[in-house]
Amino acid sequence: MLKEVSTPERTGALRTDAKLAEEGFLTDDFVRQLISVGEIDILVGLPTHNNAKTISSVVAAIQSGILQSFSRDRAAIIDADAGSRDGTPDLVVSASIDDVRRRDSNRFALRTLHSISMQYGSSPARGIAFRTILSAAELLRPRASAVFSPDSTSIQPDWLRSLLKPVSTEGFDLVLPTYTRHKFDGLLVTNLLYPVTRALYGLRIREPYASEFAFSSRLGSQFLSENSWNDETAREGCEVRFTVAAIAGGFRIGQVYLGAKDPLDRSAADLVPALRQTIGVLFGSMESNLSVWTSKTGSQPITTIGADQQFALEPRRINRKRLLDMFRAGVAELDSVFQSILAPSTLAELRGIARLEEEDFRYSGELWVKTVYEFAVAHHKAVINRDHIIQALAPLFRGRALTFLLENRTASAAAVEEHIENLCLEFERLKPYLLELWKDRE
Amino acid sequence: MPFFPSPLRDAGYDISEHRSIHPSYGNLEDFRGFLNAAHERGLRVIIEMVLNHTSDQHPWFQQSRSSRDNPYRDWYVWNETDDRYKGARIIFIDTEMSNWAWDPVSKAYYWHRFFSHQPDLNWDNPAVREEMWDVMRFWLDMGVDGFRLDAVPYLTEREGTNCENLPETHAILKDFRSRLDQQYPGRMLLAEANQWPADLRPYFGDSDEFHMAFHFPLMPRMFMGVKLEDRKPITEILQQTPEIPAACQWCLFLRNHDELTLEMVTDIERDYMYDTYAGNKTMRLNLGIRRRLAPLLDNDRRCIELMNGMLMSLPGTPIIYYGDEIGMGDNINLGDRDGVRTPMQWNGGWNAGFSNADPESLCSPLILNPIYGYPAINALSQRRTPHSLFSWMKRMIAVRRSTRVFGNGSIEFLYPANHRILAYIRRFEKETVLVVNNLSSAAQAVELDLRPFKGSILVEMFGKNVFPRVSELSYLLTLGPYQFYWFRLRRV
Repeated sequence: MLKEVSTPERTGALRTDAKLAEEGFLTDDFVRQLISVGEIDILVGLPTHNNAKTISSVVAAIQSGILQSFSRDRAAIIDADAGSRDGTPDLVVSASIDDVRRRDSNRFALRTLHSISMQYGSSPARGIAFRTILSAAELLRPRASAVFSPDSTSIQPDWLRSLLKPVSTEGFDLVLPTYTRHKFDGLLVTNLLYPVTRALYGLRIREPYASEFAFSSRLGSQFLSENSWNDETAREGCEVRFTVAAIAGGFRIGQVYLGAKDPLDRSAADLVPALRQTIGVLFGSMESNLSVWTSKTGSQPITTIGADQQFALEPRRINRKRLLDMFRAGVAELDSVFQSILAPSTLAELRGIARLEEEDFRYSGELWVKTVYEFAVAHHKAVINRDHIIQALAPLFRGRALTFLLENRTASAAAVEEHIENLCLEFERLKPYLLELWKDRE
Repeated sequence: MPFFPSPLRDAGYDISEHRSIHPSYGNLEDFRGFLNAAHERGLRVIIEMVLNHTSDQHPWFQQSRSSRDNPYRDWYVWNETDDRYKGARIIFIDTEMSNWAWDPVSKAYYWHRFFSHQPDLNWDNPAVREEMWDVMRFWLDMGVDGFRLDAVPYLTEREGTNCENLPETHAILKDFRSRLDQQYPGRMLLAEANQWPADLRPYFGDSDEFHMAFHFPLMPRMFMGVKLEDRKPITEILQQTPEIPAACQWCLFLRNHDELTLEMVTDIERDYMYDTYAGNKTMRLNLGIRRRLAPLLDNDRRCIELMNGMLMSLPGTPIIYYGDEIGMGDNINLGDRDGVRTPMQWNGGWNAGFSNADPESLCSPLILNPIYGYPAINALSQRRTPHSLFSWMKRMIAVRRSTRVFGNGSIEFLYPANHRILAYIRRFEKETVLVVNNLSSAAQAVELDLRPFKGSILVEMFGKNVFPRVSELSYLLTLGPYQFYWFRLRRV
């Protein structure tokens, strides 16, 4: 029988970082499985951790996508698992199609489809998961690789074709998604990540922090070799770091419309980790890519395959009062922190709007841009602990999110898009302000 | 192929006289001489016999069409309309629109499963059966050792069926086998029936129908396996192949005188085979590919050897098509399947040693191109070269014949995790042989679970070198591109 689940129980004790460094990143058992997979055309990576509720449907969609769109290609599904205890790796491995499992499967496949799993640790670390997938790709040399979210409830088989074909046949190095989202989903992307990435690096990438994306071996290989994987920061935010690396390296980037994307069930407590993994990484990237972002003015569209980003408009209940309360509390409680981060005029304006009632509340685009840029420079200067800087941004982001909700409560899709575009233009317009601050701080 | 008198509109499968030799090939005396010479050399000769149909030029059909009262009228399948047996598929889809053809002489339709100039005999007529058995007796009396019976699934027709593999057809074949065993013991019948293994199984009966049958679905999957570099197509079809009686045997082949048939594959597999092996559409014919082994495999000697290695080590009797043992090419500019039926290239001389006739009078032109032409590829020069394909084939056959395990043994697949490796154990009585094939064009490593053979020493069967003893651990092997090993497992 094939032995395709590589677990610590089979390979010895859980691997520590030190062991990873000493012995090579991949376990012997995993390497043995990769040898059996051999050279492939298509690689699909899944960073998993206790995803048993959703992983079966995700894997089924991936399997269908491979059989429908890549039936002649050599493909493999690589699961980088963080020590799931709910059987997730077994569910991924069950997607294999081979001459051993043939009798249990009613799927016809021209060739063998390997689905293998490696447990890299006992707690989730997306950076390590991504490194596992990149290392596997380095050995298997696929024409195109893709990473999918293991908890997606939206994934469709044709997403594989949409993301992978531009890489495998059209020479793209990084293909990112666009979706149809509800206008109030993905506020972190629309109000912060997209505009900041666009203003900094000059490319209109709608989803710089994507949970589904495809990439070439060329890009994967360079990122694997040049990224400082032992750095703690490398453990998280790898998606943003990967996008920035593609931009900075001059790789060919495109985006493709995938369709409707269901929102993930996130609690308010998830905001700070999300900020760390996204804007924290983006701020960090500014130091290593100084010559890249400081030389850019304005922005350029990137190749978009299919429709542009779209918005769903159905009414949705949102607890605006809670957002306002959290903003007010943050401004009040973190005043001393803000004094070391923000310009006095910016802080004064924030104190002012914190006193407004909901109907009058407005965190303007200009104020938000200045806030973000001042945070970026404070992060660079490390005026206080960088993690505290990122945490301090959370209540302010809630205030900006509230303004976006209020502005777009009855807005059409076109109006929502116009508001986002205006915010982006504001970030681009005020980029000299950022450069000035950065220079002063230097 | 049939050597009987024929208008040769289907390479002799349109027989117009069953008890004679086509004058292009010689006469009955010539054939007797050939038969005796073969027997003196310990060779047995089986000949092709077409039971299902005749040429429309056959006197039987000429009689049959001449009058509705003619005694031969009921020797063929006639009907006033063309709407019977609608469940029967059309086999030659490139040329035929229907299995019925209008006969203007008889003013009626006649049934034909193949070309319209090949009317099907009416096997429900006892007179037809007796006459055809008499034909077979004619050749058996002359000394032939058996028959390759062509197109046997289609002998009878019944409404509401696909008119293939019908019980009435099996009854006829069993009757012939019984007569053969009683009157000519030691002679054999080989079935040409392009069917799925499960549908072929009844042709062996309880050792009372055919002695042998071609395994058609395996052949395209072997080609698919090396192109995909994946054992899955091969193991899957062999998993579906039923057990057959001990006295029966499968005939395995890589190529033959017909197209590489793709009837027994899925649409996806057929498209893949066409795109990878017949990019030039003139290479395609009906549901198949009209090419020889060497050109199909891009003349890659390692791949040709691997394919022959599998052919000779999988369960069955290997059939090697003439010319493939020296790597002959084909001529896709010839019509129908004639491109793979060009004269045997015996030497580099006059007509490649095939005939003393004037070259322009040959029934098929010689291959002349610089890669496969007879000056480059011929039996004489390869016999002089110890490392030629022909010499290698002879060594392969000798090694195969050094054990009975390949002809008689069971097969167990090993399923190593590396899907590019096809590995199996052949066992017969006290002999055990391990076969490991690398289907990939790149070097491969493989770990085999040989624990059931712990303690055994592996002896490579060609060089007779000893390999490490099997232990509790996985047995690690590395194989070069398209390399294969045959190991005899010995307990010392």
